[in-house]
Amino acid sequence: MTDAVIALKDVSLTLGQGASTVHVLKDVRLEVMRQETTGIIGPSGSGKSTLLMVIAGLERVDTGTVTVAGEMLTGKSEDQVAAFRGRTIGIVFQSFHLIPNMTALENVAVPLELAGRADAFQVAEQELAAVGLGDRLSHYPGELSGGEQQRVAIARALAPQPSILIADEPTGNLDQATGRQIADLLFSTVEARGTTLVLVTHDPALALRCRRQVTMRSGRIEAAEAALAAAQ
Amino acid sequence: MTELISGVDAFRERSAAGKRSETGFLRTLLLAFRFSLREMRGGLRGFAVFLACIALGVGAIGGVNSVAEAITAGVADQGQVLLGGDLRFELIQRAADPAERAYLAGLGRLSESAIMRSMARLPDGSDQALVDAKAVDEAYPLYGKLETSPALGHQALFGERNGVYGAAAPDLLFDRLHLKIGDHITLGKATIALRARLVSEPDAVSEGFAFAPRLLISLDALTASGLVQPGSLVKHVYKVRLPAGSSEKRLKAIQQEAGQKFPAAGWNIRSRLNAAPALSANIEQFSQFLTLVGLSALLVGGVGVANAVRAYLDGKRGVIATFKSLGASGGFVFTVYLTQILVIACLGILAGLVIAAAMPYAASAALSSEIPVPAQLGLYPGPLAMAALFGILVTLAFAVLPLGRARDVPATALFREMGFEARGWPRLRYVAATVLITALLAVLSVLFADQRRLAVTFVAASAFSFLILRAVGIAVQAIARRSPRVRSTALRLAIGNIHRPGALTPSVVLALGLGLTLLSTLALIDGNLRQQVGVNIPKKAPNFFFVDIQGAEIGPFSALIRQEAPKAKFEKVPMLRGRIMAVNGVPSKDLKVKPEGAWVLRGDRGLTYAEAKPDNATLTSGKWWPKDYSGPPLVSFSQDEAHDLGLKVGDTITVNVLGRNIVTKVANLRKVEWETLGINFVMVFSPNTLAGAPHAWIATLTMPNATSAEEGRILNAVTRRYPTITTVRVKDALDVVNDLVAKLAAAIRAAAVVALAASVLVLAGALAAGNRARIHDAVVLKTVGATRRTLILAYTLEYMLIGLATAVFALFAGWIAAWYVEAHVMKLPSHFLPDVAVTTILVALILTVGCGLLGTWRVLGQKAGPVLREL
Repeated sequence: MTDAVIALKDVSLTLGQGASTVHVLKDVRLEVMRQETTGIIGPSGSGKSTLLMVIAGLERVDTGTVTVAGEMLTGKSEDQVAAFRGRTIGIVFQSFHLIPNMTALENVAVPLELAGRADAFQVAEQELAAVGLGDRLSHYPGELSGGEQQRVAIARALAPQPSILIADEPTGNLDQATGRQIADLLFSTVEARGTTLVLVTHDPALALRCRRQVTMRSGRIEAAEAALAAAQ
Repeated sequence: MTELISGVDAFRERSAAGKRSETGFLRTLLLAFRFSLREMRGGLRGFAVFLACIALGVGAIGGVNSVAEAITAGVADQGQVLLGGDLRFELIQRAADPAERAYLAGLGRLSESAIMRSMARLPDGSDQALVDAKAVDEAYPLYGKLETSPALGHQALFGERNGVYGAAAPDLLFDRLHLKIGDHITLGKATIALRARLVSEPDAVSEGFAFAPRLLISLDALTASGLVQPGSLVKHVYKVRLPAGSSEKRLKAIQQEAGQKFPAAGWNIRSRLNAAPALSANIEQFSQFLTLVGLSALLVGGVGVANAVRAYLDGKRGVIATFKSLGASGGFVFTVYLTQILVIACLGILAGLVIAAAMPYAASAALSSEIPVPAQLGLYPGPLAMAALFGILVTLAFAVLPLGRARDVPATALFREMGFEARGWPRLRYVAATVLITALLAVLSVLFADQRRLAVTFVAASAFSFLILRAVGIAVQAIARRSPRVRSTALRLAIGNIHRPGALTPSVVLALGLGLTLLSTLALIDGNLRQQVGVNIPKKAPNFFFVDIQGAEIGPFSALIRQEAPKAKFEKVPMLRGRIMAVNGVPSKDLKVKPEGAWVLRGDRGLTYAEAKPDNATLTSGKWWPKDYSGPPLVSFSQDEAHDLGLKVGDTITVNVLGRNIVTKVANLRKVEWETLGINFVMVFSPNTLAGAPHAWIATLTMPNATSAEEGRILNAVTRRYPTITTVRVKDALDVVNDLVAKLAAAIRAAAVVALAASVLVLAGALAAGNRARIHDAVVLKTVGATRRTLILAYTLEYMLIGLATAVFALFAGWIAAWYVEAHVMKLPSHFLPDVAVTTILVALILTVGCGLLGTWRVLGQKAGPVLREL
């Protein structure tokens, strides 16, 4: 019995049909420990984002097993996985994906409301205050800067107190300075809350801020820290 | 539904993990509703067509039925005035005998009148006109008020002065004979002074449709005219005003009692509860027809609903994926967007209901001159609820599939920034739900209709049209895909646009196809009706009908005609009136007959007898009776009407003639061509059946190619010599019918406008949605060198090609539908009118394609910069 909060065993995944079939993940084995921060890097099309989707239960694997927070995702229905994701995994996207017709406060409250929390708006308000947006509660995404939108997205991802946070290029759409601020926020928050972080990035500097680095190439995990050093 | 429940289960699972509140199905719904409202903060952009389509369809269905109910309620509310009493007893060709009269007088206050058609002539015999004479007594009217100008009392208006009787007539008669108040006319042998203009005859609607202007006189004047002879076609009407407060139960009891006391009277009894059955039946039928047209508009609008929902959900795919990434179940996503669509549909329905509720008020003002009954204005919840129900069902039928597809938008799309579109069929449960809702829609359309067969045909035709149009769309795309490469850039672009993924072809074919099919159907029916009344019937019909020729007159009258029109075809037959009392011993009122044959039982019918089979008759079953037949009474029955009544050879019919019930056996069935307007009878009896019954003769005169002057000469000669014989010039009667058909055609055209409006709306919506996608294409094509001319040519060609394929289908489908309605519902010969069909289609096509190009022009004017920055 390991203390791995994420365990992928011999995971393979193929997308597309016929001539357009792509073997995206090939016999991937990965274990991520509780409270660990892991940075996944690799060239475009290497399968990084797909790996995140598999961890979040958004993509079903062809073979192998996926265990997250002690629950085997393989075999669960789409709605069961959705419910599990809602309480266990927070996701931060490169393009923020805030809901345009909802205010910052409502956006952060969505996962809490979906979970049936009566205190959804109080918690959402606290989360926004925690990311420095206590004065932007009633602003719509269109009225916020890119950095502010990503802060809202982080607050939304962390609001249900997930044990795992996955982030797909969280600074990819931001300028360097804002990106750095967002990264600082992300790392300080997960550290303070003891959240396990798995992030995908093209930025080696960001990956290096993680305790562990994983490199992917052609659907396989190539190496860990050594590969990163070589890449640098 | 199971998804919702599993979503609820999921919430329950979560509630164990922390500080969670109690969840449940209702809670999920409330949450979905809350999310829906938040989602709708962006406004209703993109839903204009959706809202307009639903409002139009609901407004049309609810409005038409509200108007019908308002009129029906008006008839019910004013039953006493419209009927002219609480009870109305009608006898044909005979007055009530003393026992019957005493019985009627014992019921309450009695008023007697007699109605017959005759000729009103100028005293110098220079001109004449057919009139519908109504002779009344001093008690008339029992209810309501007779309005004349000037207003005169009974004696002043009708009384005899120096051998001249008084009368009132509508403006129409004054105009037709160029008369003024005080002028004299003759009616039969009586001289009549027109003392007032008839403004309002309160019980006119209960007397049935009049082909000729009314001439209101006294009973004494009618007696003096000498028109009432044995066998004359006169209706004797007795109206009774019961003591105040007589209940409906009392009315029914009297009707039953009168039938029992005088079983052979053969009277037609109506009460205030059914004051104007013909009007009520016509309104009922017409509102049903218009309801089906409204439903068609709603169905065409349904395509607009589907397009709008699809376009809206396309824009929401990112949000849906986000919801899912945050833990929302597919069922929850479906519920959120279903709620939104229903909220928007409710807004459209509300707008439609406002239109529908206002329609009785608008119609009451517009139709007051056409319908002689004041509509009872008010809110009619029944029709409004029915229209709202249709609105909701149509929305669901067209929205569930795109919603089901949206439910499957994968959250993974958020990571890939592409591939949001969910292709193929949604899950089985959504397909099944759509099928179920559509079936419910079909069942309700049939259930709400009285003419079930017509409704079933409509439903089947609609379903068939949808399937065929879908196939036409697929075929057009397949042909475009397989067509060889052409040299013209514009044509190549057009063909590419027709078949590429996301092409407008399927929705344009569906919307335009349904609208054009309906339009060409209505135009063909309209054109055919006009053709029949205006061209075909006059060609075959005789020029004159002569009615009420007494037995003693028939010889000299025939001689006169032969002298005046030696080359013309003259036909004469004896004629009586009688009413079918029972079939195979079952009273007429208890018979279950097809609606199209109900008229045979409704009132009195013309009867004749003949020894030999008439020349124009073709027997379809049974045999004609032998010469000098003297056995039990036999009857030859018209085949189509026998079919509607469920009659066959060997059945018995009880007919009341002149107060005597005669039981006859059906000897044969015969084909009758009613549209020839010749002498045709539903029933022809064996001569011994009516032996001894006093009767008059009816005759026709056919003079092909006769000029108006020739007709005028004969009319004048006949009326001068035989003032009591009623002469009906068929041309005049057809003018009246033409007028009616014109009014009917106006209503049909109004219905067509509603259908076309729905079609144009949907088309405009589909093109607008397509144009949004086309902005990118147009900009990219322009950046690589395409000129605006090339692009506009390409779009024109594309719309024309799709439109043409659809129009060909619509022409064909419209022809079949029109043929069905004409041949099976109206029972008229059906002719394809290529000019009407092609003109209709071309005009509609130019309009719709024009609309499309107007929208496209905007696309072409789009500046490249902003669009390219977005790409």
